[in-house]
Amino acid sequence: MSTVTAAEVVSRMKANHGIPWSERSKRDTFKFGGPETVVKGIATTMFCSYGVLKRAVEAGCNMIIPHEDTYWNDADVTSIVSGDASYQPKVDFMREHDIVIYRMHDNVHAMGKADFTYIGLARALGITQYETATLHHFLLPETTLGEMAAAFQKRLGDKAIRVVGDPKAKMSRLQLGVGYATPNVNAPDVDVVVSGELQEADGMLDDPAYVLDANTLGIAKGWIMLGHNVSEEQGMLEMAEWIKGFVPEVPVQLVRSNEPFWAPK
Amino acid sequence: MHEISRRRFVALTAAGVAATPLPMWGGVTGAPVTAQQVVDRIQKSIGGEWNPKSVDGFKAGDPLAAVTGIVTTSLASLDVLNLAVKAGANMIITSEPTFFSKADTPTPPVRRAFGGAGRRPGAAEAPPPQPPPPATPAPPDLVFMGKDEFIKKHNLIVWRFSDHWGLRTPNPFAQGLVDTLGWSKFANGDMSQVSVPETSLNALVAHVKTGLKSRGGMRIVGDPKVQVRKIALLPGSTPIETALKVLPDADVILAGEVREWETVEYVRDTIDLGGKKALVLVGRIVSEDPGMQVCAQWLKTVVPEVRSTWLPVVDPYWRPTL
Repeated sequence: MSTVTAAEVVSRMKANHGIPWSERSKRDTFKFGGPETVVKGIATTMFCSYGVLKRAVEAGCNMIIPHEDTYWNDADVTSIVSGDASYQPKVDFMREHDIVIYRMHDNVHAMGKADFTYIGLARALGITQYETATLHHFLLPETTLGEMAAAFQKRLGDKAIRVVGDPKAKMSRLQLGVGYATPNVNAPDVDVVVSGELQEADGMLDDPAYVLDANTLGIAKGWIMLGHNVSEEQGMLEMAEWIKGFVPEVPVQLVRSNEPFWAPK
Repeated sequence: MHEISRRRFVALTAAGVAATPLPMWGGVTGAPVTAQQVVDRIQKSIGGEWNPKSVDGFKAGDPLAAVTGIVTTSLASLDVLNLAVKAGANMIITSEPTFFSKADTPTPPVRRAFGGAGRRPGAAEAPPPQPPPPATPAPPDLVFMGKDEFIKKHNLIVWRFSDHWGLRTPNPFAQGLVDTLGWSKFANGDMSQVSVPETSLNALVAHVKTGLKSRGGMRIVGDPKVQVRKIALLPGSTPIETALKVLPDADVILAGEVREWETVEYVRDTIDLGGKKALVLVGRIVSEDPGMQVCAQWLKTVVPEVRSTWLPVVDPYWRPTL
């Protein structure tokens, strides 16, 4: 029986991070349970949803390391959600099963080329071999936007993928984003942006509207949105493998939160 | 501008001055009205204090130019601008930005000095830090430039009308959805909710998809077979605080867009904990477009001398089929 605590797991994560750990992150903290909790098994996941909690417990895990929030807001402020009917049952379930949650977000995205979410997504898309010297930039054999989107959808099983741009436009230079970190599609060395999520308008660059007008002007640009969960969940496998390397006492596994959406025909 | 796009661009701009088979949407009766006068009347008729810090205002063109016709739309894309020109309307009233960003200016926002990614990971709720200006000036952005040239060439005037339009009661964007989806007799007073005859989520989604002419922009959370009746209408972009407020008293939230890591997960957890709920996302641009049809109708009463016409947008999104 392991006696490793959640605090010990986190301290080993910091020691094995490879770059200085940012203690300033408000995201990367304990969200539930005490650091002194004895860990039986570790689940990495994208969203710490109720479904993930149930599946993690069934798999014998009581430490959850999610990439995103637990309480449906980025800052994980409980006061804005604690009056909702779904809050207490979720918390009760966590207490009943001696769950401890530590979020791992900002310190993942500080890793640059080694960022699990980018490595995992590139692997899942089958494009790792095409990475250029530019960060998260890929030079693929030329294809059309339509063929590229269909291939990516199949590889990821992404039901609610959304695409903007001419399906027949030729694409080869791909800039990869994950989650809400969607790159600007107007960069001169980019044909297509593949990412998770982006507010449709009033951002730094409103990529959907930009791509529509680029197409009208005969400039080939494409935009493929995979969804926040699908884009970053892949790398939670890499994160699990990483933790396995320095926490040999307990099983470590990916528990998928899975794509939340379906799409009408 | 490279060769192909120049050719396309010339073709596009030439179409604007050619004789047109389209019905003329332009048209003025009585004394000429300037764009500024149109805006003055809107500001006077809308009620309440005008907030100068809002996103609303002139984005392009000469406010003192005489208006030949008004086109309303949720997105003043080049396709919409081109149709306006063909129809002889020179003032476009849009709810979304014209120049692809909150800054909404004809020059692109400062970009990182290398490669492609402009946003920084982890910048979810905070604005990204401004990168230092590049050592050499960035090459001109052909899309910003092409749009700016088109607007100038055809002497178009673009005015954004979003914040103040959305403040009216009932909310015109919600009213647009109600009208378009045939829910007038089911709506409450401020159009924030409709109570439709009980139906399955699947049937509701099909109705919304057809009614809004959605192509690939719809994404659904919830059991397709769940029976629903009360639908909360949240066109545009909705924060988690609003979702928390309306979901307890609704079966479905019908929204433009939400943050996936907040509202989507909130609805998913509520369903997994036994709540018979659903979330239907149609996209922000598509969700606000019917509200701009309402705007065109309202403008007929505010500026009766000038013809006002709504130009529907096409759902920007498509998706391959698995």
